[in-house]
Amino acid sequence: MITALILTAIALFLGVLIYVVNRTVPTKVKGIEKTEEIAGILPGMNCGACGYPGCFAYAQALTKDAELILKTPCTVACQDPESLKRLEKALGITLDAAAMNRKALIHCNGNSEVIHNYSGVNTCKAAAQLLSGYKKCPYACLGLGDCVVVCPQGAISLKPENGVAVVDPEKCTGCGLCLAECPQNLIELVPEATKIAFLCNYKPLKDIPGREKCDTGCIHCRKCFKSCEYDAIVWNKERAIPEFDIEKCTLCRKCIEACPNHTLAEFTEVKAAAKTRTEATVG
Amino acid sequence: MSNLIAIFLSLAIINNFIVSKFLGLCPFFGVSKKLGNAVSMGVAVTLVMLIASLATWIINHYILIPFGVEYMNIIMYILVIASLVQMIELFIKRTNLTLYNALGIYLPLITTNCAVLGITLINAQESYSLIESMVAALGGGIGFTLVLIIMSGIREKLEIADTPRSMKGLPVAMLVGMLLGLTFFGFGGIV
Repeated sequence: MITALILTAIALFLGVLIYVVNRTVPTKVKGIEKTEEIAGILPGMNCGACGYPGCFAYAQALTKDAELILKTPCTVACQDPESLKRLEKALGITLDAAAMNRKALIHCNGNSEVIHNYSGVNTCKAAAQLLSGYKKCPYACLGLGDCVVVCPQGAISLKPENGVAVVDPEKCTGCGLCLAECPQNLIELVPEATKIAFLCNYKPLKDIPGREKCDTGCIHCRKCFKSCEYDAIVWNKERAIPEFDIEKCTLCRKCIEACPNHTLAEFTEVKAAAKTRTEATVG
Repeated sequence: MSNLIAIFLSLAIINNFIVSKFLGLCPFFGVSKKLGNAVSMGVAVTLVMLIASLATWIINHYILIPFGVEYMNIIMYILVIASLVQMIELFIKRTNLTLYNALGIYLPLITTNCAVLGITLINAQESYSLIESMVAALGGGIGFTLVLIIMSGIREKLEIADTPRSMKGLPVAMLVGMLLGLTFFGFGGIV
């Protein structure tokens, strides 16, 4: 009897104590109204793709530095124009909704010739460590599907013809998990509004004898750069590859026609091709 | 004084909570992936251990022992620790948001941590005085933090090491935990 009474008394006492503490400690913390507003807009699923331990921590970082959203954007919020608009308002900066919505693009045509017979561990990471891969181009997509496995959306599939991985932009949420997975560093996040896709991971092939680029690789002839009438292509001298200006590009497709090696493709075509394939594999 | 040092060393190293008493194993595997998280968790556990030891010592000496109901200590301590941690969390959340974020999810997590309950029960079992039980709590907390830090350091390296696929993650962490336990076993007999 006494034990039950003691327990009840202590429980009651603690309950009252919590109530008192709750009432006496001030409820409002100064200076977090803005953080709370931003946190309200963020998806709140704490996925961690932004690199912060949760949506609230990300909101706190954004409160300190609004420009941060350009460097490490919340990819989930970027998929939805509505929440982007609210973020714009809360942060007081202008965001380019089309450029923020980013999709993974694999910079390889996959047409490089297979020159070695590889029968080792069935991952790109293992294959890339032996003789820089088994394809003629040491920078090519090896097509063993490390990125396919890691994609949480199932947006990446392998082309049956030549085994190159392709991303379906409709399923891709731009989380960027595949970027770290590719040993060849072929994957890049590009704005969804990209018009021309550059499908080569061109690097100078200096000291690797017997290796040449593939039939559809960039030979840095600059024909695309010269063919453009709208100054939409800028020649990147360091990497010797073309860079495309989304704003200026009118999608006249002259550069695609001009490219002797068919390294360029229309982004919408890449999309459509990927889409039909993922649907086919699902069906 | 030497008595206090013996208690401290015993709980921090020789009878370490994690590797020899097997208390608080969930944070040992759960939050030992990153060094920063491990330090936060260790600090939070040490803090709660100290406060819980103080509160339970008072309850033990002024309520449980005079009424002769020491057998109720487990349920009583759980009640006290849980509500205490709630109060501390409330207080920290509204006064110091930076500290609240640093402790993060770990504060509510350790309301029912067995290491925290363990230290209070050890204090009662050994019938330590107030100062002795505070030293014991400090030693236990520091030992807990120490092992968590060692483990997270090893696991950060393990993450990039070439581990067989079937052993990746938790299985290899269990093996490391075993080796760590053996290492700490070597301290036995110092005190």
